[in-house]
Amino acid sequence: MLLQLKNIFKWVNSGGQRVFLLKDINLEINEGEFISVMGPSGSGKSTLLNVIGMLDTFDEGEYNFLDESVHNLKEKHRSNLYKEYIGFVFQSYHLLDDLTVQENLEMPLLYKKFKGSERKAMVADMLDRFNIVGKKDLFPSQLSGGQQQLVGVARALIANPKLILADEPTGNLNSQQSEEIMELFKKLNEEDGVTIIQVTHSEKNAAYGSRIINLLDGRKV
Amino acid sequence: MIKNYLKIAWRNLIKNKVFTTANIVGLTLAFTVAILLAMNALFELSYDQFHKNKDSIYQVYASAQTPKGSEIALSKSVPFAPALKEEVPGIKNIARALSTNVLVIYKDKELNLDAEYLDVDYFSIFSFPVVFGNTSKPLQDRNSIAITEKASNKLFGTKDGIGKTVRLKIGKEEKPFSVSAILKDIPNNSSANFDIAIPFENHREYDENKDDWDSRNHSVFLQLEQGVSVEQFEESTVEFSKLHFREEIESRERDGALPDVNGRYVQLSLLSSSDRRFASFATGVVRVQRIFPYMILGIAFLIIFIACANFINMNIALGEKRLKEIGMRKTLGAIKGQLFVQFWLESLLVFMLSIILGFILSNLLLEPFKTLFNSEATLANLMSPTILLGFLLGILAITFIAGGYPALLLSRLNTLNALKGKWEMGKNGLRNVLIVVQFVIAIILISGTLVFQGQIQFMRNKNLGYNKEQVVSIPLNGKKDSYRVIELLRNELQGNRDILSVSGADNNLGRGRDGSASTSVMGFDYKGRGLRTNVQTVDYDFAKTLDLQLVAGRMFSREYSADSLSMVINEAMVKEFNETENPLATRVYFNEDSVAYSVIGVIKDYNFKDVSRKIEPLTLFLDRNYDLYYAYIKVAPTNITESYEAIKRAWQTVEPNAEFIGSFLDENVDRTFRREKTMATIITSGSILGIVLSCIGLFAMSLLVVAQRTKEIGIRKVIGASVSSITLLLTKDFLKLVGVAFVVGTPIAWYALDRWLQEYAFHVPLSMWFFIGAGFLAALIALITVGTRTIKAAAANPVKSLRTE
Repeated sequence: MLLQLKNIFKWVNSGGQRVFLLKDINLEINEGEFISVMGPSGSGKSTLLNVIGMLDTFDEGEYNFLDESVHNLKEKHRSNLYKEYIGFVFQSYHLLDDLTVQENLEMPLLYKKFKGSERKAMVADMLDRFNIVGKKDLFPSQLSGGQQQLVGVARALIANPKLILADEPTGNLNSQQSEEIMELFKKLNEEDGVTIIQVTHSEKNAAYGSRIINLLDGRKV
Repeated sequence: MIKNYLKIAWRNLIKNKVFTTANIVGLTLAFTVAILLAMNALFELSYDQFHKNKDSIYQVYASAQTPKGSEIALSKSVPFAPALKEEVPGIKNIARALSTNVLVIYKDKELNLDAEYLDVDYFSIFSFPVVFGNTSKPLQDRNSIAITEKASNKLFGTKDGIGKTVRLKIGKEEKPFSVSAILKDIPNNSSANFDIAIPFENHREYDENKDDWDSRNHSVFLQLEQGVSVEQFEESTVEFSKLHFREEIESRERDGALPDVNGRYVQLSLLSSSDRRFASFATGVVRVQRIFPYMILGIAFLIIFIACANFINMNIALGEKRLKEIGMRKTLGAIKGQLFVQFWLESLLVFMLSIILGFILSNLLLEPFKTLFNSEATLANLMSPTILLGFLLGILAITFIAGGYPALLLSRLNTLNALKGKWEMGKNGLRNVLIVVQFVIAIILISGTLVFQGQIQFMRNKNLGYNKEQVVSIPLNGKKDSYRVIELLRNELQGNRDILSVSGADNNLGRGRDGSASTSVMGFDYKGRGLRTNVQTVDYDFAKTLDLQLVAGRMFSREYSADSLSMVINEAMVKEFNETENPLATRVYFNEDSVAYSVIGVIKDYNFKDVSRKIEPLTLFLDRNYDLYYAYIKVAPTNITESYEAIKRAWQTVEPNAEFIGSFLDENVDRTFRREKTMATIITSGSILGIVLSCIGLFAMSLLVVAQRTKEIGIRKVIGASVSSITLLLTKDFLKLVGVAFVVGTPIAWYALDRWLQEYAFHVPLSMWFFIGAGFLAALIALITVGTRTIKAAAANPVKSLRTE
């Protein structure tokens, strides 16, 4: 088992009332799963993903990742944990505009204390694997949306994470581009055994996954 | 890692060209000026610090009680120093020193050099090293002298002039002396400054005053033995004072002076030689004030503060553009510390660049700076390890705070909010505080500038009671007898219709090109009271030449043969005599057995001393036994340049071997407030720079604010707001800050400037207009700076600005 959420609650106080963002979420995810989280706007999909990714906190409940109790960890340890095991892919790519493709890919490695030569090898490998060697010196603004997301996925993968969290990875892409990205996810999941959790609006994309979690008003349905 | 940081930093700097340039230009200017100012201030503070024994060297002074309060006397009598050494324990070395000019004659060369009549122990007390000759005893005997390398070069054309014989004109005679030691040139930061040291016994008044405790004309320095404290020493001089100043103490008691807290009328005290440059005695107590150098350091600091405030403001504001990067980096595993280091390194890059540029620029500007600020400081003065270390720490601290604070803010952001581009900081608070402080500083500096310039104009234009525009004063630095020189000048210039009158005196007005200043004060008993007066010996036509106004009686005249026993006094002296009814009836016996001197005329008070000083009692004598040192020549108001040239030619005929260094009195008066002028230049340039820097910051902030509010401006325009109302809306916020700055800054400036003006006996009234002017100027400049940007934004097409969404 990769991770386990037990009775997770998250709320905000608005006008003296508690508004629940997540309500009693229980979830177990095993290694090698490909999960799609679905639900209408405001149902808590992104919040759930952020909680799993440890970018966001929760107010009640337990969260175990591998053998660690995330709810008891300090920020620094949490950050060590997620930079070790989790890769993120965003709807709007979030590549750093001031860095080239190559440098964007290198960045996660900088925070993991890889040596210079190792970093070079890993980046070269990733460029090769995604067929973007020719674009390594371009800046994000010089790429199409699909290519940018490709770099985004490559960046998420470069440090060999166990889990990839993707928040509407195809939201800004046209249908052909999104198909390519989804195929890539499927391949990663099947061939490399990477666990993937994606948030999506599209039934078609959700179908790539092995399991679908539906959310409504912060509850699992 | 570092490489990556630097790369990112570099690209960021390039991307925000406008702001990077604004920051680097601002910081470079600030550092340049701060380095120059700090150099100047540290140079001032380094005065007399080079003496190895500086902690045990003191100048002896006496504070004496008068009916009007206490007064300080630095001058000592000839027998004083030997007696003190003999009778009071704790003195390791003691030396008398008398500064003057002396005419040195070598072959056909005549040079007027700064001289110091000294006891030989002077060289054991102070560190003026000997380069050639007798190191332990530079003045071997009564007929040997020591000169500096510079003087040796001037006289003999070689640095090693040992054994050469020169003649010195002492009094009316010329005496031979042999050079027994060559001294290293006196450093610029020394209070004592001389080219030639002469054994004290050779002074022309030495023999007549050898046992006279009442004539005082020189300073006394001493080095205390180890372990002897100033208090101990001062206490142990009490008996000495009682013995040697008995008469003086009695007459002070008789005149109704109140004793000091210890019940004494005359107390000998010590002034540390390190404090000499900064001591003032005007108020009757010794006040050691290093306010000028510290003020300059303060201005340097304020300028750096303004530039740093800009940097902080711009960096925080620009941080908004980098929220995504921060969020992303955090998502990829960056921890707070790493982000902090990254942003801090970026700041460090800008600072280092600015500091290096600042150093280069300050080196390039060194020469003009030295002329402008009339300073002898060099970068070498800054090269002591302590100062360098302090400087390094200072810079580190500044970069740490100015660069670190925005870095800290940015690195603390919540990951998710950063990714979403949300900034939850109350950032405008700090921004506004910094802008207010900047403008407080600017307003203080501007009002300081206005008041300083006002005071200088005031001093320059003040009616000093004599004609300063038409009178040339010439230091009599030649070999001939002074009365003879003046007579010759009269004859030489007689035919010239533009030369109105020639006279002379033993003292100058203002500060001449010879740089000398001296004061003679005489005390005597009159009708059972002790009186004191400044004394001057003058020649005929003195009042006529200087346009002094006669209030009663007459001036000295060739028609009266007994005028050598006459006195002309000023109004302040009339009050001192307390003979306002009929001053002309006053008769004085200066010594008990001597003849009577009578007052023959009263002149209106005139500023015979610096403009900053009150007009003291003055008595003029006509006594051919005393030399004159300055000739005064009045010229017609027309053809002034030609007249000056004519005077110069006449001088060259009369004294062909002496340099002509005559100057108009108004130049001389200007020279007396050189310090104020320097300070005014510094404050003026400081305030101009302060304003420029504040405006750079304000301009950058207005750019950012306009960028932030683009959407709001668009919406308002669509709804129907006019360009002017939007401009007002955007500008108002900044003007409010300037308003707050005015309210905060004015009282501070008022207080400081009021205190400063109190130092001057005559000063410009501190009017509210100085401050209103400063506030208005600051507001106007701010308005122009912000206005240009906001009008442009307000005039833009709203469709465009709304499209940015």
